[in-house]
Amino acid sequence: MIEVKGLYKEFDGKTVLEDINIQFRPGECSLIIGASGSGKTVLLKNLVGLYEPDRGEILYGERNFTKMKFAERKLFRKEMGMLFQESALFDFATVEENIMFPMDFFTEWSLEKKLERVNFCLKRVNLEGSNKLYPAQLSGGMQKRVGIARAIALNPKYLFCDEPNSGLDPTTSIVIDRLIQEITREYKITTVINTHDMNSVMEIGDHIGFIHKGHLVWEGSNKEIMDTDCQPLNDFVFANNLARQIKRNR
Amino acid sequence: MKDTFQTTGEYWQLMLRVFRKPEKWSVFWKQFWKESQKLIIGSLLLVFIVSIAVGGVICLQTANNLESPFIPKYYVGVMARESLVLEFCSTMIALILAGKMGSNIASEIGSMRITEQIDAMEIMGVNSANFLILPKIISATVFSPFLMLMSFFIGLAGGGLLIAITGIITLAQYIEGLQFAFNQWYIFYSMIKMAVFCFIITSISSYYGYYAKGGSLGVGKSSTQAIVISSMLILIFDLILTKLLL
Repeated sequence: MIEVKGLYKEFDGKTVLEDINIQFRPGECSLIIGASGSGKTVLLKNLVGLYEPDRGEILYGERNFTKMKFAERKLFRKEMGMLFQESALFDFATVEENIMFPMDFFTEWSLEKKLERVNFCLKRVNLEGSNKLYPAQLSGGMQKRVGIARAIALNPKYLFCDEPNSGLDPTTSIVIDRLIQEITREYKITTVINTHDMNSVMEIGDHIGFIHKGHLVWEGSNKEIMDTDCQPLNDFVFANNLARQIKRNR
Repeated sequence: MKDTFQTTGEYWQLMLRVFRKPEKWSVFWKQFWKESQKLIIGSLLLVFIVSIAVGGVICLQTANNLESPFIPKYYVGVMARESLVLEFCSTMIALILAGKMGSNIASEIGSMRITEQIDAMEIMGVNSANFLILPKIISATVFSPFLMLMSFFIGLAGGGLLIAITGIITLAQYIEGLQFAFNQWYIFYSMIKMAVFCFIITSISSYYGYYAKGGSLGVGKSSTQAIVISSMLILIFDLILTKLLL
């Protein structure tokens, strides 16, 4: 479980996150949603240690991530996997080398074992046989799947996804969403997904946190979100005419 | 002024992260050979073409300007050798490499920064500065003196070729000039300069790439800054090293 306690973050005197308190449970897809500029990416970057919080704590189980020393944190990172908005695959490496990258650094496995793991991960994301392709030769959806394969290469306990559906068509988005959900449930991973895609919210939102102007103003599930009284959330969810019409007809 | 101090501070902080023991030596050596191929082997053709042309031009210009009958003809060889070894093969080649290597390194690392590839490494727990930059600096610094040597011999050969074709002096006079009052320390001086210059090119370009921001425009800006600053530092260090070593 990941627990965020009283998290504050500001940039150049401007408060971006204020008193964030939220828990993310294993085996669940937890979605952080909010409008652009609401602070959800900053929260995710705090969770993975790319930003340091100004105040507050981030606990991974019993371990306090904010108080970990550099070496301790480095070791701990083996338990994390991350899928980036643009996949962030290494251009200089093939699909196989991309997935093998964390194994090269953090395991003493033989080449055969690494290849076995690579093939397993590729099979898990339905991309068998694409080992020797370069990222530039893959479509956006395939790149995302390779990103997921790389993120799960070392059997992480925690998976973070930053806008996993950005730039994908609705059908591919659902494939990626379901894949993340399956992996989360299958390996009991604590998954935190940063998104503003309402399809993802309805599809895989076991637990949702809505951030508005740096505050966590609502928490619930995808079943509860349609009936919420939270005005900023309603403005966000029912932003277009079709959505408003659906709400009226419920 | 504040920017200069901030940039210098950031540069040294980055270098502290770069010059750490590699996390895995096997990964480091793999990257080292890859970078050597890209940075050094990839520059051979450029160095070859420029050196042969410049060697020829130096001979031609020197021969055309030696009008006094009191100056022996073999002086063309002396001039070619001294010009090549003292300045051209280190400083001029380094300035050319600042353009080629510098833009290559800054744009490669800069693109990795803006597409979050560096963040991906950091999240995995990999020291991205050490993994990406150290092999570039070490390979360029170790192998560039040999590039200087190659440039020197090709430049001399270029001069010889021009003399053979045009007949402005005899080849025997040219070779006599190459051997006249030769100071071998100049070769080591030039090799040392080249190593220092390539350290400057790779580390400065890596710095600008590593801290690139603002999309593709930012990457372009970082490449330009890398070339400009590297070139300026090469010229400043040329003065310092010449004062110290000669």
